[in-house]
Parts: sequence; C-alpha cells; structure tokens
Amino acid sequence: MASNPAIVTRATRGTHRRSKTIRPPSFSVSRIVGDLATLAQYRDLLYTLSVHRVKVRYKQSVLGITWAIVQPLSLMLIYTLVFTVITRVPTSSAVAYPVLLYSALLIWSFFSNALTTATNGLVSHNHLVTKVYFPREILPLTYVVAGLFDLVIASPVLFGLMLYYQVPITVNALYALPIVLVMTIFITAAALILSALQVRFRDVGMALPLLLQIWMFASPVVYPLSAVPSRFRTLYMLNPMAGVIENFRKVIVEAAPPDFSQLAISGLVAVILLPAAYVFFKHVESTVADVI
Amino acid sequence: MIDVKFSNVSKRYRIRREAPEETTRHPVVRKLSRLLRGAEDFWALKQVSFEVERGEALGIIGHNGAGKSTILKLLASITTPTSGEIHINGRLAALIEVGSGFHPELTGRENIYLNGSILGMRRREITDKLDSIVEFAGVRQFIDAPVKRFSSGMYVRLGFSIAAHLDPDILLLDEVLAVGDSAFQAKCLQRIDELKKLGTTIVFISHDLGAVERACDRVLLMKSGEIVKSGTPREVIHSYESDTYQSNSSNEVYGLDGDRSARIEALTFHRSDGGIRTVFHTGERLEARIEFEVTSPVEDVVFRLDMYSPDGYNHSVFTSEGEKLSLAPGRGTITFVCPELGLMPGIYYTDVSVNKRYGLQAIHIQFRSTTLRVDPGSHAHGNFYMPHNFYLTRHESSYDSTSSQTKVGPSDVHAR
Repeated sequence: MASNPAIVTRATRGTHRRSKTIRPPSFSVSRIVGDLATLAQYRDLLYTLSVHRVKVRYKQSVLGITWAIVQPLSLMLIYTLVFTVITRVPTSSAVAYPVLLYSALLIWSFFSNALTTATNGLVSHNHLVTKVYFPREILPLTYVVAGLFDLVIASPVLFGLMLYYQVPITVNALYALPIVLVMTIFITAAALILSALQVRFRDVGMALPLLLQIWMFASPVVYPLSAVPSRFRTLYMLNPMAGVIENFRKVIVEAAPPDFSQLAISGLVAVILLPAAYVFFKHVESTVADVI
Repeated sequence: MIDVKFSNVSKRYRIRREAPEETTRHPVVRKLSRLLRGAEDFWALKQVSFEVERGEALGIIGHNGAGKSTILKLLASITTPTSGEIHINGRLAALIEVGSGFHPELTGRENIYLNGSILGMRRREITDKLDSIVEFAGVRQFIDAPVKRFSSGMYVRLGFSIAAHLDPDILLLDEVLAVGDSAFQAKCLQRIDELKKLGTTIVFISHDLGAVERACDRVLLMKSGEIVKSGTPREVIHSYESDTYQSNSSNEVYGLDGDRSARIEALTFHRSDGGIRTVFHTGERLEARIEFEVTSPVEDVVFRLDMYSPDGYNHSVFTSEGEKLSLAPGRGTITFVCPELGLMPGIYYTDVSVNKRYGLQAIHIQFRSTTLRVDPGSHAHGNFYMPHNFYLTRHESSYDSTSSQTKVGPSDVHAR
C-alpha cells in the first residue's frame, strides 16, 4: 500500500497547514464566521447526508418516493370529505375547495414534517455526535433539505389538480418562490433552535407534534383566511404561518400578487431569526456531546 | 515544529446526582429537587499542558477515569475545554470508532461515501481512493450489497479501510485497535507504521501497553486528570505497571455483611522459574499466587481469579471450584498453575475473590488487582489460544511416486 498513488507523502505536500485553536465556548463574531467557514468546508457532507436521508426514507418500500405525494394527497381527500360533505367551510373563493386545501397542505406538510424530523436530528445521531466531529448543524439541516425535496415532489400534483378543476395558472405563481424561500429560512431557524433544545429537554420532541396539530387549526389550512371573523383577524394574523400560507395560496391558486407588506415583514423576521438561531445552536453544540 | 499543544487545559463535567433516599418520591419532585440542588463538579482534566512535535508518536496511558478519553474528545473537537487552549497545526483525523455513520440499509459503496465525508474527506477524494479502499478491505465482491449483510469482520475491515485512507497530518487513535482479531490489529499497526514513515504525527491513547510501547516515541501517564509522568515508553509503562502492581486497597469489598472470615492479601504472577512478573507470553507457563488470611474457620470456599480486558469483557477465570476447600485460621497461599497460557496478547485486569461455594457469595473481593500483560508468544489467532500439536502422515498415492510428496509447514503460515 505504500506504493499506492492515493497516499501522498509529507514531502510532496506543501508545507502550508491549516491551524486551529480550540478554546472554551464564548460568543464572538469572528468565531461565528469561523463556524460558517467550517460549515462550507463540510458542504460535501451536507450533500451526502441529505441524499442519504431521502434515499433511506424510501428504501425497502414498494411505494418508494411516491409516499411524498401520498401524504398531502390523502390528507387533502380526508379534509375535503369532512369539510364539504360532513360540515361546510365557508369559502368566498370561486376556486374549488380541494385545490385551496391542497395548496395549503403542501406548504404546511413541508413546515410540519421538516420541523418534526429535524427536532430529533441531534439526539437520533448521538452515536455520531459523541464519536466524530463535523459541524452539528448539518444534522437538522439535512432534514430541512429532505422536506424541501418532498415539497418539490408533491408540487406537480397541485398543478394537476389545478388543471382538473380548471383553475388558471398565472405568472403570479412565481411569487411562490420567494415565499418558499422565506418559509425555508424560518424553518431552518426553528429546526436549529428545537434540535438544540431537544438534547437537554426531551419534552420538546414530545410537545411538538401536539403543538403542530393545534397550530394547524390555528392557521388558514383547512379554511381560508376569509372564514375568520373580522373581530379576531388582527389577533389571528399574529400567527406567522397565517400570512405565509395565505400568500402562498393567493399567488398560486388565486392568481393574485401577494400582500407585499406581509411578505416583507415575514422575510424580515426570518432573516433576523436565522442568525440568532445559529448563534444559539453553536453555543449549545459545544456541550452537546457531554449531555446527549 | 509543534503540531499539537495543550495549554493549561481543564475540563469540567457537571454531574447531577440523585440522593439515594429520594428514589421513592414522585418523579416530578425528584426532577425538581435535582435541578434545584445544583450540580456537582467533576474535573476530568486539571490544568493539563503538553506538546507534540511534528512526526512524533505520543502515547497516553492511565487508568479509566484518568482523563485519557477526555483528551481524546477535546482533540477530536467532540467537546470543548472549560478553560485553557488547544492548538492544532494541520489536518487532524480521529480514528475513534470504525464504521461510524454506517447505515445498514445503504450499500458498501454508499457507506464509503457517507463515512468518508463524515470523517472529512471530499467527494472527489473518496472517488479517487475508492478502489484502494475496497481493495484494502477485501470486500470487492460485496461492495454493492447493503451493509447489513456484511459479516462483522467485513464491517470492521471496511470501516478501518476508509479511515486508513484519511492521510491526515495528525492522527488520533484510541482503543479502536482492540476491535477485531489479531490479523486486523496487525494490519492496523502496519498502517500506523506506514503513516509514521510518512511523517504523520500520532497521538495514541490506549490500554494496550504492548502496542503503545511498540508504536510510540514518548508516553504520558495520566492519573486523576493530571499528567504524572512523561518519558520514554519503557520508563513510563514500567512506572504504570509497578503502580498497579500494588493492590489498591480502596478497590476491595467485603461481600457479606460483617463477615470478615477470610481476606485476600495479595496476588502475584510467577514464571516457570518462580520469578515475579506481570508480563507473559501466549502459551507460556504461568502461576498465579494468591495470599490470603483467614480469621475464623470457613467451610467450602472457592477462590476465583477473573481475568478481563479493559472493555470489561471477561476472558477467563481460574477457579478452585473443582475441590472442596475448607480453611483454618491463619495465613496461606493458593497457587493456580496454568501450563500454557491461553490468553491472547493484550492487557488483562484481574479481580481476586474468595467466595462461599453456596451461591458463589463473595466473602472478600479485590477489584482491579494486579494487571496482567500478555505479549505475543505461541502462534495464535482468534479469541484464545488452545495448546495443540500436529503430526504428518504420508499416504500411498495411486499416481507416480513424485506426486506423493506433500509439503506441510508449521500449523500456521501467517507472520506474527
């Protein structure tokens, strides 16, 4: 093996070496910048783990990748049944209820699944966390990427539905992209915070499904925003997901431009939350291996 | 050129201990009182400083809890120091667990990429080295099968092969070498030698004193979070061994309440010439002498000498169960004679105990008594050595006489 060309001797390698100093955890901008640089170094790992995450989910299953579609689709069918046949949800829109529903479910599933899986990301990989070094934020990030992937897989069904119900698709639909971007930033921030908290307080992982369940009904998913009585509306809008879901629905299904001020506010919140979440995560990361 | 430098590094763990009387109270109450009580501080490292020169191979030895694995975790960036600084000059790769990140559902090939990138290799680097990795592990046939179908030997070989191709500036090694059979360990040590020739700096943290002595230029001895000795492997290992040679009185326990009828005094190992040694060779004759003192007569006792490896795995036991022994007050010695030591090379801790035969209840146990070190001796492979001979018989062949010459070598052809 000594003659193996893959093994390079010290002599042929340059004398320039990367050096690193490990210090007790403390906050400083330069440290955070260094952490981001390390994350960039490990981008291959982020890619590999995300691919792995997606692959493994559907391996040894007959339906395979179609499961990504099955979830929002079957939810949509059930809710349509309940909210049109069993009880009636007032929709002021001319658009068919299933389409309204599916569009909201698409983005809600992304939010809900990515958060639920990412929260336990660190804990479920404790064998890695205690044995090998790599930027730990990669773990929750891979779940966000996997969620995004599922979103992309399930989107064509929305367009199929829109064609079926003869809902026009306009250029305004392209506004969905910045909305999804804002959503992703927000989810990433939440994933970082929750996965860090989960290490020490396992209650987080238990409370989350319940919280998401309640949250879903407090958001305009199975009913449109117009169904909310006007006296509650300002309170209702404090829910960050309300604006996002409503705008997403608006631009794709109702062929109208989004509410720009709402979008701007959501964007601002997300952009401030993300660095704060990252700093928090990095602070917890330094002792994660001690308590996991 | 200094590659690794620890400057006054300390590491504190906060331990929240539960008071024993609280186990009967309600879980929520217990949790609250635990949080309120605050944590106890355990200092795993206390102001530790040392340097490793470029190209040097440094060994770190010491008992469990001395701080070795904390140093390991700090170097591998798995945890951070409480105070002090660690300076690392170059690319450091830690070989702490082989096959970390292996996912059973993925194929060998996919896991090579996964494990490789977890260890810090770029995709391009992995692709370039892929053939060599597969070749070194000897798993070419199965490389596209899911890893859960691999035998444990293949698993370990593949994991090690990936790590062996890391080619770092600084290599951090620990007990990972204890995994696998001696053929695998030989391969590991060979790779370490190769890396040494290439000028890699090595930090080796282990209980395997033989391997440490063989591979390292300098050794540090850790005790209770501090470095107590630094020097050549021979000096430091000898110091460590003679330290553990003395029975540690804080490690003894009387099994039955109030029963002080018998007591283990000392354990020594002797070679065939009677001399006291703690280093033996596989296949060698070994005598274990246990000195005891009896204060009141005991009926039907069993002496036991348990030998186990640092990971807690009990390898073998000397026992006097076969005969009924009853002891009168006074001092005495029981000698276990083993004509051919079956233990494989390694370090073995010993527990000595005198027990009542009924239920094998211990009267007195001395935990972690004298450490026994076994170095390679008779050719042996696998988990233990069985003494064996062989003889050769010639068969009359129906072909011409020249073809009946069967050549047989010694019972094994592998180099030690």
